[in-house]
Amino acid sequence: MTPPFLPRALVAAVAPPADYESIAGDLREEYAARAASMGRALADRWYWSQALRSLPGLLSYSRSRHNAGANAAAVAVVAGAFLAMLLCKAGIDEAIGTVYRAEGAGLWPYFVADWIDAAFFGALLALIFRSESVRLTFIVSLVFVGGFVIAILLGLMAPLHAVAWILLLGAIPAMTFGAVAYHVVRRR
Amino acid sequence: MAKGEYLGEFEQIVLLALLRLSDAPYGASIRAEIESITGRSSAIGAVHATLERLERKGLVSSWIGAPTAERGGKAKRHFKIEAAGVAALRQARTTLERLHAGLSLYTRFA
Repeated sequence: MTPPFLPRALVAAVAPPADYESIAGDLREEYAARAASMGRALADRWYWSQALRSLPGLLSYSRSRHNAGANAAAVAVVAGAFLAMLLCKAGIDEAIGTVYRAEGAGLWPYFVADWIDAAFFGALLALIFRSESVRLTFIVSLVFVGGFVIAILLGLMAPLHAVAWILLLGAIPAMTFGAVAYHVVRRR
Repeated sequence: MAKGEYLGEFEQIVLLALLRLSDAPYGASIRAEIESITGRSSAIGAVHATLERLERKGLVSSWIGAPTAERGGKAKRHFKIEAAGVAALRQARTTLERLHAGLSLYTRFA
């Protein structure tokens, strides 16, 4: 019996690599025992509760200090995504209308290219933060600059209304997705 | 004893649970022992983070066991309390007993 995907992914994203296997195994073992004795719904609830309550401990884990960059990047990118969504919310109808009214090839290629760019750089960031390079800060700065410059250039090249350009910031969730997907895939 | 060497409450609980368990304790069994003795439902992440901190202080040691099917093919990390861990527990107990000694706290607030 497999625990629910989301809390599993959450644990995979924040647990230190060296101890992920033992932590996930402990959770899985107890989940199976609870599912057999109490039923799956209660076991799912217990797993969710354990995953959420484990976050502070796992984030403070000293073995994950070399991963602090990855955690900080994930938090910053998620916060950025929420901000972008808030910004978009005000003029979302107008933005969508602008996109649909665009002539010629339309704006979709720019959006698609922007999301691919963000997902790629998100995964790259996650990869770099997981290594313990001495030149980490410099390399990460270059990657950040590269990712955002490409996104901004795409925004400038596209014949976009200002609000639609803000909508391009929707690529930030794609960057989050790239980073989180990388974490999850690496833990499987 | 330097400031960073004092044991926190949860560190003492985890060390005592380790002492109580004789059969190669690991995260889940330690968590279950704490829950059954104290009634306190602790998060597995907190237990592992505490164990790692204790290991870094040299109070416990760990080793990786074999993967098992019931754990989805994931291995256990077993823990063992070291002599320094027992000494730290003894020290913590002595300190508390000294602080409690001669107090009329219980009679005053009874």
